[in-house]
Amino acid sequence: MLSIKNLHACVEGKQILNGINLEIKAGEVHAIMGPNGSGKSTLSQVLAGNEAFDVTVGEVTLNGDNLLDLATEERAREGVFLAFQYPVEIPGVSNLQFLRTAVNAMRKHQSKEDMNAAEFMKLAKEVSKQVDLDPAFLKRGVNEGFSGGEKKRNEIMQALLLQPKLAILDETDSGLDIDALKVVSDGVNALRAPDRCIIMITHYQRLLDHIVPDYVHVLADGKIIKSGSAELALELEAKGYGWLGIKDEAVANQ
Amino acid sequence: MKTAPMLSSAFLQPAGQALPSTLLALRFDRASSLADLLLPTRRTENWKYSAKHLKLTDEMASSLPSDASVEADEISGYTVVLVNGVVRPEVSNYPFIEGLSIQRFSELDGDDTALAADLIGKSISDQPAKTGSVNLSQLNGARFEDGLLIQLKPDTVLDQPLFVIHHTTASQSGSAYPCILVAVGRNSQLTVVEDYISSGDCPVMVNTTTEFNLADGANVTSIRLNTEGQTVQHMGTTGVRQQRSSRFESHSVGFGGTLRRHDLHVRLEGEGAECKLNGVVVTQGTQHYDNHTTIEHVAANCNSEETYRNIAADKSHAIFNGRIHIHQDAQKSNANMSNKNLLLTNGAEIDTKPELEIYADDVKCAHGATIGRLDDESIFYLVSRGLSRRDAKVLLTMAFINELVDQIPVEQVRVSASTGLNHFFDQAFKEV
Repeated sequence: MLSIKNLHACVEGKQILNGINLEIKAGEVHAIMGPNGSGKSTLSQVLAGNEAFDVTVGEVTLNGDNLLDLATEERAREGVFLAFQYPVEIPGVSNLQFLRTAVNAMRKHQSKEDMNAAEFMKLAKEVSKQVDLDPAFLKRGVNEGFSGGEKKRNEIMQALLLQPKLAILDETDSGLDIDALKVVSDGVNALRAPDRCIIMITHYQRLLDHIVPDYVHVLADGKIIKSGSAELALELEAKGYGWLGIKDEAVANQ
Repeated sequence: MKTAPMLSSAFLQPAGQALPSTLLALRFDRASSLADLLLPTRRTENWKYSAKHLKLTDEMASSLPSDASVEADEISGYTVVLVNGVVRPEVSNYPFIEGLSIQRFSELDGDDTALAADLIGKSISDQPAKTGSVNLSQLNGARFEDGLLIQLKPDTVLDQPLFVIHHTTASQSGSAYPCILVAVGRNSQLTVVEDYISSGDCPVMVNTTTEFNLADGANVTSIRLNTEGQTVQHMGTTGVRQQRSSRFESHSVGFGGTLRRHDLHVRLEGEGAECKLNGVVVTQGTQHYDNHTTIEHVAANCNSEETYRNIAADKSHAIFNGRIHIHQDAQKSNANMSNKNLLLTNGAEIDTKPELEIYADDVKCAHGATIGRLDDESIFYLVSRGLSRRDAKVLLTMAFINELVDQIPVEQVRVSASTGLNHFFDQAFKEV
């Protein structure tokens, strides 16, 4: 479904991704782990189409369509969804207005009619319950004054509303307490579907207790250096990254 | 040093003689006092950015026809229509309410004439006169051909807003001088919507004054919507005098043009008075908009709250100059001023200048001004959810002014403002 071949990317002239190869089939969940600065977030930003990053070499296709030829909004409409590590606060734009505009942009692309305000409100309330967010959040500014956990739940809520083909979750578990982690994991598990693939970027094995991935990849210096089954995450948890020949994080960052 | 140009004598020859003799005499006096004054130049501090857009040719000095035909506006409710500064009863719909009187200047007599003569120009500062250049609001006093005296007796509430439509016909060059006087009695309440519109596309000048006088406990909401055409040079002045415990609220929404200038001067003269001034300005193309506000805390225990937002696109220019003057006896004054600005392109310009003059020692006074652009990260976040770039930018730009548009208490004005804003967005965010 998703095919990444020899992907190289840089930001502000600095090379971050050095040849990523990854194949994900429909229905699969892949976890990407790796030390800070290894390129995990860059990969997610590049897939979503952040213009601050330049792809120098490589190819990315989703169901055969070349993603790199598409603008950010076109990728989104083709089914790419990125749950942000740091969702942006946008005071003055209500969550409801934002979400409805997004859903209708998607529906327009699928040649469906706009959802009216009442229909949308009903849907949004259902989905917000699914991630345990008080529907009152819908009336507030986008992520405005949300706690870290609320922002992450809002991201998952958006994924549930937009029903993407490819969901990329960038450290969706960071900053969550145990209860919130459970809620978010339940949301992600609800996203699992035979016609959807999911990339989870995480530092911690604990998320993978709740969402069991089909594959785990270790990213270092912008390359996947090891891939394995869910057990690989347990091994990393026990041994750290050192045994894979990755330099100590502090040293690597220098 | 180059000498500043003088105001052409052509501007001091008013048309329209159908006024009470007291007002004709007043107008003549004002004209005489302006005879040898100079026009502002870029060295004139409060006309620094706008002087170059001021084009007062002799052609512009002639009065626009007071009998020009206009299409009636589809406004339901109380409306008074002025065409080129002259009241047109046949397309107006005056409210008849006990305690309310709306009279045109040409109909005034006796005490009402005396009241009008007393009020004209009273709330408008003559401060710029010390610079030797014309305070252009004084030109209105020398040229008005008609006007409105609106009086509300004590303890009277006007149940719906009163729309005052100022229609300028720009089918030939010339100028218009509408003059509105509002006297609101003790504990009375009134909402006035001033809607400035135009038709035609010849260069014209509109020079307006609106003066509000609020007695003790009076409550006035003033809404000013400016959607005149590109070729209109608009020079508007609003003066407000507030007595004890009165409340004045102003909402202004302005779209740019070749020259837009509005001076808003509020004097808090009685203890416990308060004012709230909101303003939104959007400019695009080569448009220009210059807002000058002055809030004078004359008496003690008064509150003022001012929030202005400017948005400038293309090569346009928006200016905000906000002055707060706290007099020596105005202890326990509370003044807040915020001006935020959004530049949508590199070619646009915004100038903002908060000015505080404080002579009392026990006051709370805060001000803030920022100039920024749309945040790339926010745009990325929105388009990553499938929104078009245009929609993302519209949402973010609206977010900047939503709070102020939502506060406008008259729905018809919010709708007109939205229509104007949508037109603005269509031009400013053309999809490539």
